[in-house]
Amino acid sequence: MLLEIEDITLHYGRIQALHGISLHVNEGEIVALIGANGAGKSTIMRAISGLRAVSRGAIRFNGEDISKVRADLRVARGICQAPEGRGVFPGMTVQENLEMGAYIRRDSAAIAQDMERVFGLFPRLLERRKQAGGTLSGGEQQMLAVGRALMARPKLLLLDEPSMGLAPMIIQQIFTIITEINQQGTTVLLVEQNAQQALSRAHRAYVLETGNIVKEGTGAELLHDPAVKAAYLGVA
Amino acid sequence: MTTDTIKKQRRGLHLGNRFRALPKSARIAALIAFVVLLYVLPVKGFYENLGLPIPAGDGYLPLYTTRSDMANVLFQCGYYILLALGLNVVLGYAGLLDLGFFGFFAVGAYTVALLTSPDSKLITEYNWLESPWPWLVTVPIAVALAMLSGVLLGWPTLRLRGDYLAIVTLGFAEIIRIVAKNQDWILNGDRGIPSVAHPPGTWSDGSPIFGIIDWSPYYWLVLTVIILVIFLIRNLANSRVGRAWVAIREDEDAAELMGVSTFKFKLWAFAIGAAIGGLSGSLWAGQANFVNSATFSLENSILVLAAVVLGGAGSIGGAILGGFLVIYVPEWLRSVGDVFGWPDSVEVFGVHIDVSPTSLRFVIFGALLIVVMIYRPQGLWPNRRRAAELKDRQKEVAPVE
Ligand SMILES: Nc1ncnc2c1ncn2[C@@H]1O[C@H](COP(=O)(O)OP(=O)(O)O)[C@@H](O)[C@H]1O
Ligand SMILES: [Mg+2]
Repeated sequence: MLLEIEDITLHYGRIQALHGISLHVNEGEIVALIGANGAGKSTIMRAISGLRAVSRGAIRFNGEDISKVRADLRVARGICQAPEGRGVFPGMTVQENLEMGAYIRRDSAAIAQDMERVFGLFPRLLERRKQAGGTLSGGEQQMLAVGRALMARPKLLLLDEPSMGLAPMIIQQIFTIITEINQQGTTVLLVEQNAQQALSRAHRAYVLETGNIVKEGTGAELLHDPAVKAAYLGVA
Repeated sequence: MTTDTIKKQRRGLHLGNRFRALPKSARIAALIAFVVLLYVLPVKGFYENLGLPIPAGDGYLPLYTTRSDMANVLFQCGYYILLALGLNVVLGYAGLLDLGFFGFFAVGAYTVALLTSPDSKLITEYNWLESPWPWLVTVPIAVALAMLSGVLLGWPTLRLRGDYLAIVTLGFAEIIRIVAKNQDWILNGDRGIPSVAHPPGTWSDGSPIFGIIDWSPYYWLVLTVIILVIFLIRNLANSRVGRAWVAIREDEDAAELMGVSTFKFKLWAFAIGAAIGGLSGSLWAGQANFVNSATFSLENSILVLAAVVLGGAGSIGGAILGGFLVIYVPEWLRSVGDVFGWPDSVEVFGVHIDVSPTSLRFVIFGALLIVVMIYRPQGLWPNRRRAAELKDRQKEVAPVE
């Protein structure tokens, strides 16, 4: 088990956003986390990446509890998140953004290789190499955020709504690339409101409602679950 | 004409790009010539030639200052530029709002004063020192203490997000000033500390280089320090540290998610900025001879902040330009005022109102800041990333998608 979350709670001030969440991600999987707006999906991501401290529970990565480890040190252990709302560095060029993704690494030859790999996955980024991140279109920024996270060579890639605000064509493209990244050996935990795409790409999935996990199963199971269909797939 | 060639032409008109397009040897030569110009600037026989004839009539518009000694004004510009360079590291590079930057200047100045004055209470009352120390020895101590106070202020506050830092720094500067003003046990209030030492050195005739009458040597000293500090800051900005600062200022969460230890690098920026502020204070004290609490009013912190924002946060050139403008322009306007007969004060209903440009400094820069923030929010001499960063921040406030 690469990641194992056991009974975590998390508070924003007095508001409790997570009520005892447990989930796990096996090495090599794509695991999807679906749920409505405000269910707590991003909060789980923040707890894993360390942007927010949990109030209770354990987050084990490779068997070791990292729930007290600082966020920047979790990156060194192999967890990298592409934040919600893209979060590219607006004043840095595409290339500088990607270099920033490799900030913790010192192996410049391998970094150059990985950059080629990212440009291979996202040819658009190669065209825009010298352009400031903030001037890219929404889809391009999303690609950059994913590419930048890959530059850290994570064992576990956390993607928070990579399809948000994008045109259907580009969503399709992004998900294809996520599958490709996974096949190249990166484990992926994926948060999505676009449940259709997420469930059809994921090996396993969890459904989150107001800070609780209410369902889990394989992607295919949940895709055909009547309750999930009604709530998240817009099918009656 | 294609838009591409139009863009190219527009780029060609831009002064900075035109300069960068020159061959390297030409750029270095131009830079050396400019530095030489800066060094001869306080020489009377030189600067008095800097002026423009006024087309109508036979007036002469000086570019130098006629009311105050030019070397004096240039020295003041110098230590403000140093302050602006220090605050630029904090605000411009790491994006941290420091409203009390002059506090570090005060730490530097008081350290020098207490250690070098024979009238310092450390000597006369507490017997901590047997005799006053030479100025040069106290400068590194002043810088170190300013840096230490930066670390002590930053340690608890830089872990927090939001405006805590602005409030804490504001409080810090005001506490120093108020403590200095109201207590007697060491800093001596308004009566201050007299006989502060000057930098060392004598001319061949035995008279001190750093005397009271001629301010040029002080200006040359501060100019030299500025050049050294620029080299230091440039190297930092182009290093891994500099890239971490950019990342933190552009998106702190994302920086952390890339593995940047945001607290550590913010603390570094804060400490380095504080050290430069302290350095400026120790240079100033070496000239001033007398240090009291009146020097450290809040207005000065605001003026340094205005200098950085006006010049262009995040850009060394901008900090220099801003630091120069906030001191030089009001002084120079007094010279211009003399040419056109602008009075120093006017009487309205029997009340004398001071209207000299140095008194109106805050009105002038307040207005200028508003205009610049509307039409050129990235500053007069911006960092190349700044425009994109500001546009992004606007989007966050009012999303367009
Ligand atoms: N910074 C914050 N401060 C206070 N409450 C927050 C904050 N971020 C999220 N929340 C609250 O926590 C809950 C979960 O939010 P979030 O994890 O962003 O949901 P999701 O990503 O599933 O849309 C919501 O009720 C939201 O209002
Ligand atoms: Mg979310």
